Amino acid sequence: MTETLKPMNRAALSGPTYAQPVLGNPAATLMESGVGNCFPGLEFDLRQLDVRFFPGLVFEFPGVTPAGPDGTQGARLVYADMTGDPMFDLDADWVTDLKAQFNGAAGAALGDGQWYLHSVEQYGKKIELYDFVLYQNTVTQTPYEGETAWWIIRLIEADPNPDVADLTVGLTQRAPDGSPVGNPVYLKGKRRVYLDGEGMISEVYHPGEFTASMCSPWTHDFRDCACQYWASNHPDVVLGPVVDPRDELEDGTSKTDPAQAVTFLDWMRRRKLPGADLSAETTIEGARPRRYDPYEINLHWQELDFVLHGKESNETHNAGYRIHAPGSGYADAAAAITALTNDLAPLEYALAVEYLYAYFSLRSPDEVSVDQEKEFPGLANDLRAARQLILSVALSEMTHMRWANQTLWMLDQAGLYPKGKCYEPVIEPAKKIPDGKTGGTRPRALKVANSDTLQTFVDVERPDGTLDTEYGDLVRLFSDPAGGYPDGLYELAVRIDTDGLQHYQKFRDTRNVLLPYSSRPDLFLRSIKLAKDDDKSVQLALDLLDQAVEALRRGYGAEAAGDMTAAQVGITAGREAMHRLNDACEFLAQQGIGVPFFARFGG
Amino acid sequence: MARDVPDHFDTAALIAASRPKDPDLHLSGRMVLAAETAALYALPETEVAALADAMAKGQGGAALERLGLTLAPAAPPVPEITPGPVRALALTVSQSCNLACGYCYASGGSFGGPDTRMDWPVAQKAIDRLIGDTPPGGSVKIAFMGGEPMLARDLIRQSVDHANRRAAARAVSVGFSITTNGTLLRDDDAEFLAQNRFAVTVSLDGAKATNDRLRPLRGGQGSFALVARGLAPLVARADRISLSARVTVTPDNLDLAETVGALADLGFQSVGASPMINAPTGKGTLQGDDFHRLLAAMVECGQDWLTATLAGRAHPFANLATALTELHRGKVRSHGCGAARDYLSVDASGSYSACHRFVNDPLGRMGDLVSGVDDRARADFLTERQVEAQEACSKCWARRLCGGGCHQEVLHVGRPACDYVRGWLHFAISAYDRMMTERPDWFDAIG
Repeated sequence: MTETLKPMNRAALSGPTYAQPVLGNPAATLMESGVGNCFPGLEFDLRQLDVRFFPGLVFEFPGVTPAGPDGTQGARLVYADMTGDPMFDLDADWVTDLKAQFNGAAGAALGDGQWYLHSVEQYGKKIELYDFVLYQNTVTQTPYEGETAWWIIRLIEADPNPDVADLTVGLTQRAPDGSPVGNPVYLKGKRRVYLDGEGMISEVYHPGEFTASMCSPWTHDFRDCACQYWASNHPDVVLGPVVDPRDELEDGTSKTDPAQAVTFLDWMRRRKLPGADLSAETTIEGARPRRYDPYEINLHWQELDFVLHGKESNETHNAGYRIHAPGSGYADAAAAITALTNDLAPLEYALAVEYLYAYFSLRSPDEVSVDQEKEFPGLANDLRAARQLILSVALSEMTHMRWANQTLWMLDQAGLYPKGKCYEPVIEPAKKIPDGKTGGTRPRALKVANSDTLQTFVDVERPDGTLDTEYGDLVRLFSDPAGGYPDGLYELAVRIDTDGLQHYQKFRDTRNVLLPYSSRPDLFLRSIKLAKDDDKSVQLALDLLDQAVEALRRGYGAEAAGDMTAAQVGITAGREAMHRLNDACEFLAQQGIGVPFFARFGG
Repeated sequence: MARDVPDHFDTAALIAASRPKDPDLHLSGRMVLAAETAALYALPETEVAALADAMAKGQGGAALERLGLTLAPAAPPVPEITPGPVRALALTVSQSCNLACGYCYASGGSFGGPDTRMDWPVAQKAIDRLIGDTPPGGSVKIAFMGGEPMLARDLIRQSVDHANRRAAARAVSVGFSITTNGTLLRDDDAEFLAQNRFAVTVSLDGAKATNDRLRPLRGGQGSFALVARGLAPLVARADRISLSARVTVTPDNLDLAETVGALADLGFQSVGASPMINAPTGKGTLQGDDFHRLLAAMVECGQDWLTATLAGRAHPFANLATALTELHRGKVRSHGCGAARDYLSVDASGSYSACHRFVNDPLGRMGDLVSGVDDRARADFLTERQVEAQEACSKCWARRLCGGGCHQEVLHVGRPACDYVRGWLHFAISAYDRMMTERPDWFDAIG
């Protein structure tokens, strides 16, 4: 364009315009936005950039061998070549000089034998890539290992003036112990700037270079993953399978082969080799010859076994890890069904709601005044912790209520319900709650979260308390392989059972968190008064609770009948109602109103 | 005042100045338009006369070469245009109307057929298709048209509700618009439109007297009062409703400046004029000399807008603002609009048409909801109608700005308005020059 014609609109100012806007890739996919751990990094190995840090030279950075330093570590020159290096197209005197060096004696020397980076020098500061050790009047030069050399190279800056050659590198050959020998070659130049002004990576890099040093998980390159990520994703050593199910004992070990239980096998062993069931070697090098090579895994992956609870298995149904402890308190499925329907599920509901009431009775962290925070630093955080702990237990009880229902409908689906009866959703509160003393109960009650209340919570969740024992009995019942119980029931019972211990600990923690404020309940408790069942202000909240219960009823019923779509609708509606209930209760609690959650169930 | 538009406005002179002299470039004042690329350049004043002379001798391109600009030659027609998914849909929710405007493209609302209302299943299917064809993260537009769309108020509510939910589930954003005669708007309608961020276009043709004459109710009475009453709640929600007025210009309401003023008084911040070129009944169509009067009226409004804008005041005349924006963007077009390419309309019978004007018109039939959008028909339509393939447009400097005209008008009555279009663009280019010189910041807001 000349000075005469002045471009005015966008069409005149820019280059080609596109009919459709080019959306391009999101910023998160650009390499500079990458996760950036160099080792190995998820998109590329950043260290590979520095392999070509000096124009015309290509390095690698070998580390120290397992046997110890042998002089081959450091920044090793792979080759010297100007071809394809755009830095040599730059118009500067130093480039001309460097070209002359490569075409001359220096280039010839570098083309013969093994060369290493000896030193880097910039602005009068020189770093030699060696550890100097003085021992009995002898100085031993042990080369830095590759990673150290790489760190030093990373620190080299590029002078912004393109005409200034600010970097001098020295290369030498080495004696067997790693010390430099012979005439060094010094090259003067400039370090490469990896991105140009438009953010494009220099063209000198060959396709594949950036990932050459990385393991390749998509070909199951478990062997070369040096950060152990892929290694941590597959088993190392496993117990072998019990081949004949008739030989299998209740604990999953073999009746006829005592060695099976104590012989660990290499999971990556080639299955078709003789000696495939030999005990695993104790070192990786020892095991290596008998393992699948990485390229084979894609061909033979079906020969690898599933591993469940540390034991190889060729089938998903594997009851072997269930510890069957006879002596369940339940005689049969019918007894369990009765207990779940009449006691356990309602108990979960009642507890969930009692815990929620206590949760809402706690002040929220933002209610703490500036003066209070000054006087009791950490109060806000303690409130946050206490609320979170109680809420998490309440949510866990709701989950247990669902699992109790799920256990019931799974038993129904398996045909284990008493004749004439079938599963009905159980979503209502129990009237009596165990009080932690053997067989004793207390009436359900909604109480604020003072230390007495928290103590009752601790009592009800105590291990070996009633609640715990009942679920323990359920675990024992479902662990019986002769019982014909559907898969999954045992696991569900185990989960509920083990959760119990967590609840106990959380309530103890909550009690401890609030202990320092016990003489000042105004600091952590809202002044809540339990509203009467017919109080107008709480009817909306109670309606929402009803909605949630109704939606769950529909959802559980649908899921029991196998209609997952309808179940999802019910559960989602229930969740929505619960969210709104949460907001309503929080709002009311801040007004000092406690919602009588049991109101619609008889108070 | 712009170079080619003297105080006593000489339409004939403008038309003469804007006639095509060179297929590859045009000179308006000191502004050079490269026809094929829609690029605008400013010549030094001293070079203007020389270029004009060169153009008269057919050597405009060579003259520009000497000044350093090589003009792109006219592109040949694209052999096959393959359109992507449709991004905007006009739902003709009602094919009836309570007004009886003589020029109506829908012939009193019904497009020449029986009065029909769209059923919910049809609307739903069309919406679902539109959103389903859009990748997540994309955006779609749904326009409610008619007839008078507010006759199907419930359907609109249902459609908006459904579209919002569907789109949210797919992470697609949806924008809504409606073109209405404004007589049936209630207060709750305004709130609904505001909540859903509608772009509302109200059709009005003039101040009370003019409007009542041209847009009577079915019984013959005027509709202006009704519109004015329904307008207040919309204007009150100007922060959420993008409100504009649309003036259909016929030989009977060419007093545009007065109309624009009257509509501004009603509260409109944007008033756009659309010349009536193809009325199915023939009534109200602009013809022959009408276009000269139209050009004069438009330029007069344009000058008012220019004066106000240069002085930092708002002025509602939308046509010039749009023209300046498009000139600044400089995007070349192959078609005058997005019909059939980005935009389709659906009618009550579930048929797709190239746009809302093609409802019940076989020339624009693009498939139906049952068998799907007819992409073959779309491709054929677009390929046939691209401006590069229009013989009549090949020598016109404005072809890449105009795009060849409204498809429906061209297919039915040809292109009677080319002189007007060129005259208007010529004026717009000189206005662009002035704005870029005196208020370049005005263009900063353009995306």
